[in-house]
This record gives sequence, structure tokens and C-alpha cells, in this order.
Amino acid sequence: MLSTFHGLETVRRGMTAQQQALYVTGHNIANANTPGYSRQRVNFEQTPPYPFASQNRPVMPGQMGTGVEGGTVQRMREEFLDVQYRGENMKYGYWNTRAEALYKMEEIMNEPSDEGLAKTLDRFWQALQDLAVNPSNSGARSVVRQRGIAVAETFHYLSSSLKSIREDLKNELDVTVKAVNSLARQLNDINKQIGEVEVHGYLLNDLYDERNRLLDELSQYVNIKVTPVPSGGSALKIAEGRFTVELVDRNGTSLGKLVDGNTGAFNEITVKYETTGDKYVREIKLGNDSLNFLSFKENGKIGALLHSYGYVGGTGLYPEMLNNLNAMAKAFADQFNAVHSRGWSVTEIKSNTKDGKTFFTYNPSDPAGTLDVEQTIKNSLDNIAASASGQIGDGSNAQALAEVKNGTMNIAGNTTTIQNFYESLIGQMAVNAQEAKRLSQNSEVLRQSVDERRMAVSSVSLDEEMMNMMKFQHAYNASARMITMIDQMLDKIINNMGIVGR
Amino acid sequence: MRVTQMMLANNTLRNVSKSYDKLGTYQQQLATGKKIHRPSEDPVVAVKGMHYRTSLTEIEQFQRNLSEAYTWMENSESALNHTTNVLQRARELVVQAKNGTLGQEDRQAIAREIEQLKKDLVQVANTKVAGKYIFNGTKIEQAPVTDGTPPTVRNNNDDFMVEVAKGVKLKINVTPNNVFNQGLFNTLQQIENELANPTSNLDNLLSQLDGHLNDVLAERAELGARVNRLELVEQRLAEQQLIAKRMISDNEDADIEKIITELKSQESVHRAALSVGARIIQPTLVDFLR
Repeated sequence: MLSTFHGLETVRRGMTAQQQALYVTGHNIANANTPGYSRQRVNFEQTPPYPFASQNRPVMPGQMGTGVEGGTVQRMREEFLDVQYRGENMKYGYWNTRAEALYKMEEIMNEPSDEGLAKTLDRFWQALQDLAVNPSNSGARSVVRQRGIAVAETFHYLSSSLKSIREDLKNELDVTVKAVNSLARQLNDINKQIGEVEVHGYLLNDLYDERNRLLDELSQYVNIKVTPVPSGGSALKIAEGRFTVELVDRNGTSLGKLVDGNTGAFNEITVKYETTGDKYVREIKLGNDSLNFLSFKENGKIGALLHSYGYVGGTGLYPEMLNNLNAMAKAFADQFNAVHSRGWSVTEIKSNTKDGKTFFTYNPSDPAGTLDVEQTIKNSLDNIAASASGQIGDGSNAQALAEVKNGTMNIAGNTTTIQNFYESLIGQMAVNAQEAKRLSQNSEVLRQSVDERRMAVSSVSLDEEMMNMMKFQHAYNASARMITMIDQMLDKIINNMGIVGR
Repeated sequence: MRVTQMMLANNTLRNVSKSYDKLGTYQQQLATGKKIHRPSEDPVVAVKGMHYRTSLTEIEQFQRNLSEAYTWMENSESALNHTTNVLQRARELVVQAKNGTLGQEDRQAIAREIEQLKKDLVQVANTKVAGKYIFNGTKIEQAPVTDGTPPTVRNNNDDFMVEVAKGVKLKINVTPNNVFNQGLFNTLQQIENELANPTSNLDNLLSQLDGHLNDVLAERAELGARVNRLELVEQRLAEQQLIAKRMISDNEDADIEKIITELKSQESVHRAALSVGARIIQPTLVDFLR
């Protein structure tokens, strides 16, 4: 037998549930522009029907519904898309950082232009040709000296600029590592909170969103793999649990745990540098484990910085360019000096003794950075050896010096001309930069398309919320109307019945 | 697929900024007139560009060397022309002197003229161009002939070489010994002496003089041939310069018409992107439900 107020109770539940849904709608609208927010939905559930199916049930035909209640408030999210997004974000982090490093390198090398090293060498070569034609002209000699200094200074400029960018890369690497460690700490904290509350049957939508946001951010720095660990207790089925975050290489092989969902611990990444020489990265560790440098290949921003800055036993974009410039400066200076010391300078002709002076000096530990024109030549133009025969009017040694630029020599193990070697350096850099730029753009497009799909699931549509608002409001109103109806019904029974003949 | 306001806003922003990026590229290309402004935009163009620029610099330098070569050769040629004239005059005088009707005073006069011609040749041998003695091999700072009786020749016979094309060196001086050797001055001196004190040796001296004249003519012919060669090289360099410049232009220069067309169409895309953004973002259901 149904109770008198059964209907009232049913519609009251209806009102409460619709009200709850309206509040969630309000929450969605309010967060329509919050980054990382996933729209939420109230899972309406029917309350148990009357009568219960039990032994002592009252006998009546069928069951009667008793209304609705607002069940769990669930986030709308497609986790598979998160995994995809992070994969692309990781690639974007790598290629974008690499592209930036190469972008700066291109700016320093400044080729092809009228100010680059190639042009400086061309001008030096021209000055030597002029000297070859006018060997006794001190004007021609002075131009050779000045342009020789210009060549040396251009090498310095390239070397020191590359070094300072490399130093910037080091700082960036340190900052990035700090960011990763901070993210690991925050993720671990969120894990803890989630683990403590989920066991009581709650869903922590805001914390889930926050955790996702942190994981998205982390994924641009390193490649990560996320595995959920259920919280246990009375945790709901749709509860997300704690997350174990592993560092993986680009093939998905685990390198170690950054955040451990089981133990509630997290590990920090540490980077150690050599203290001498080129100050390469000596070691990169996750917690107490040393990581292989190669596993950072194409692996997030840290990988790109590591491979741009350079590490022990491997190479990096900047050290490679510096080494090549050094090899080039050294080979050029050596070859030039050899030819120069074979010739006769005016001083040597006058004193009729050959002292075989060189033209360039450099410190073997850093040829490009220390290349300079000999002090003796800076002191007197008469020390430039333009003559091969010992006659002042003979310019054939200047001629031979001019040919050094086009002569084959051994540079860093390659038999090549200085011109071709430098062209190949620039070509290699250009191809690298082009590749990095292209892949950075590709991964950005892919990341964006995944993000788009993710937003299609998770982001708030104001139209949709508006529709829901109408829907819930009407249901709320109708429930209220139902109360009025029941009120009239009861009024009939209570106030208008049994008064026959009154 | 659900499309939400945030997606629309993000897409609009992305499209507009991409469009700006393209406009920026066109602006750069138009402002500089170059297809690329960093190697990564086209590595092949960049490396080729470096190569062509160097080639052009080289060609221009060779052209500069060439003008130096011309200076030497033209001056040498005019000096040799003068030398021929002088020697021919000397020959006329000797032939005249052989005439038995001449008296001693006439001979003396001829001897004085021969002396002057000799001195003139010393000056020619010591021709200086831009401060350099062009008839002394590579010893350009020293005069090859010292005036005297007879003048003494101490010339250097090294070749003065100038590179006029990649790996091509050309001798730009005249070997002085072929023209202004001690023999020539000795002959002239002997003629002068003979005229002052005749020993009827003039026939022999005349044939010596003819020998020297021939030497000078031979050297002139050789010089002429070299000037021809120089002219050929000059033509070739001019062609190469043209080709190098065209290659640089083909390789690096922006096609202005094409870029302006692309700029205009990109501009309309940009306007469309902006106006679509403005239209699409504004109204939601909220605006229509009152």
C-alpha cells in the first residue's frame, strides 16, 4: 500500500536532483574558459522502487518508481587521448627546443650574407691577390693585415657567441630539470590527497583535472608513461586512483619511476657536469640510478637540451660546431703559416736572413677562440712575406697564400678545402635546423589535433550547458508543479471530504 | 564531433597567428628581395649562395688583376714601340755615316745623335709605372740600367706573374734581357765610338744593330700575342661574371610578382579568418534565449 505522501517525496527528490544538476551546469559554465577543466555531468540514478523485492514485501502488482537522486558527479574525459596528447607534446618539446637552439646557431653563423665568415675569408683572399699584384705596395700590405685581423675576429666572434649560447642552454637545462622535479613533487602530493579521499567513496574531479594538467606539462619535458594504482577501500569504480609516473625512452622502455603511486615516493632528476674542458654533462640521474644519455634521444625538452649542449662520450650540436670551427681555424692557420714562413718578408730580404715567421697565432686548446695575427706583423707591415724569390717585387708567395683558401688540406680528418668544409658545416646546420623546424611544426599540428579531439570530449560547450539548463529548469518546475497538484489532491482528501450535509 | 566555444576561440587564434606568420614571411621576402633569410629555409639555396658569392668575388678580383696586367703590358708595348723607332733611327744614321762623302764633323754630329738615342734607350729601359720598374723582372724597385759609357745593365729576368683566372697565371712583363741587354748598349756605344774614331767596322756594327732590332720586334710580337690572350681571358671573365650574377639571382632572389600575388591572397585569407572569428565567437544559445 502506498503511503499518502509517497508522491510528495518522489517529486521532492526530483527537485533536489534537478537542482544539483543545475548547480553542476553552473559550475561548467563558470569554468568554460579554465585551462585543463573537464566538463562534469551528474549521473542521475533512480532510487529503489517500491516495494523492494523481498520476502515480506507488500502484495501489489508490479513496482512503483520512487524518483531520482543525483548520483556521482563525473568528469567527461577520454584517457586514451591524454596518452596520445602527451606523446605528441613530448615530441614537440624535443623538436621545438632543438629548432630553437639551431635557430640561434643560424643567427650567429649568419650565412649567406655579406658579414659572415665566408665573406671575411673572401675579402682576405682578395687582399692577398692585390698584394700578389702589387707586392711592394705598403697599402696592399696593410689591407692584408687588417683583413687578416678581420678573419681572426670573425672566428672569435663565432666561437664566443656559440659558447655563450651553449652556456644559456646549460641554464635552461638546469631550469627544466628543476621544473620536472617540482612537477614530480606536486604530482606526488596530489596522488597522496587523492589516495586518502578516494577510499571514502568520493570522486576528486578538480584534483584529477589538476593532475592531468601537471602531467601534460611534464610531458613536454620528458617522455612519460602513466599507470593508475587503484586506491582500494570503498573507492568508486570510476575513481582514477593514484598514478605511477615512469620515465621512458622513445621506444617506451622504462627508465625508472619519477612518481611511485604505490609507495607514495618520488625521485628527482639530477644533472652533473664535468668541471674541466668543455664542461660536458657528465651524468644524469633519476633518484640513484644513472640514465643512459642515448635514451634521451628525441625525448622531450630535456633530451633536446642535452643533445644541444653536449654530453660526455657523445656529442652535441654546439660542441660539434665549435669543434669544427676550431679544426677549421687550426687547419687554415697552420696551412697559411706554413706557406707564409716559406716566403720572404721585406725585413728578411733587407737582412738577407730567413727567419720563417708565421702569420697567425693561436692557442691549440681553442684555435677559433684565440686566433690572432702575429704581433710582429701587427708591429710592422714589412713582416708580411709576399715574396717567394727574395725579390721585393716578387708577389708569388702572396699568390701562394691566396691559394691556401682553395687548396686542399686535412680538416678534422676530411681532405677538403677550407671553403668546402665551411660550406658543408653551414649545409649540415641548415639541414638539421630545417628538419627540427619541420618536425616541430608537424608535432605541433598533431598535438593540436589530439588536443582538439580531447576538447571535443572534455571542454564546455555553452550551447550545450544552455540546453541542459533549460532541461533541468523545466524538470525542476514540473516537479514543483507536481507538488502543487499533490497538495490539491491532499487538500481534497483532508479538507473537502467527510463534510456531506455540513 | 562536439565543437565548443574554447575550441572555436583556440582555432581562430591559431589561424590568425599562422596567417600573420605567413604575412611576415612575405614581408621579409619583399623587403629584402631575397627568397630566404636563413639557411634552414632552404639549405641548398644557402650553400649554393655561399659558393656563388665566393665565385663572384673571385671573378671580380681576377678582373682587378687583369687591369693591372693591362697597365704593365700597354706600357711595355708603347716602350717597345718607342725602342723600335729609336733603333730604326740609329740604323738610318749608321747607314748615312757609311756614306764616304761625309766629313769628320758630320760624323761627329751623327755620333752625338747616337749618344742621345742611347741615353733615350736607357730611360726607356728604366720605365716606371706606378713607381715600379717594369723592365726589371721582379726586382721592380731597382732601375735595371745605369747610364755610363757604355751604360751598364744589371737586370733581373724573372717572370712577373699575375693570376688572371682560377689557376691561370700570366706573365705580364717583358723579359728585359731580350730587349735591353748589355749587348745592345755596347753596340750603340761602339757605333758612337766608331763614328768618333773610324776603323771601318761600321758594317759589322750595322748587322749587330739589325740583330738587336730583330730581337725587339720578336719580343713585341710575343707581347702582342700575350695581350691577345689577356683579351680573351677578359672576355671569358666578363661572361663568367654575368653567369655568376645570374646564378646568384636565380638562386636567391625573390620573384616579386609571385610574392605580391601570394601576399594579396594571403591578405584576403587573413581578413576572412578575422571576420569569421568575429562572427563565430559571439553568439551562443545564451544570446537567443530570453
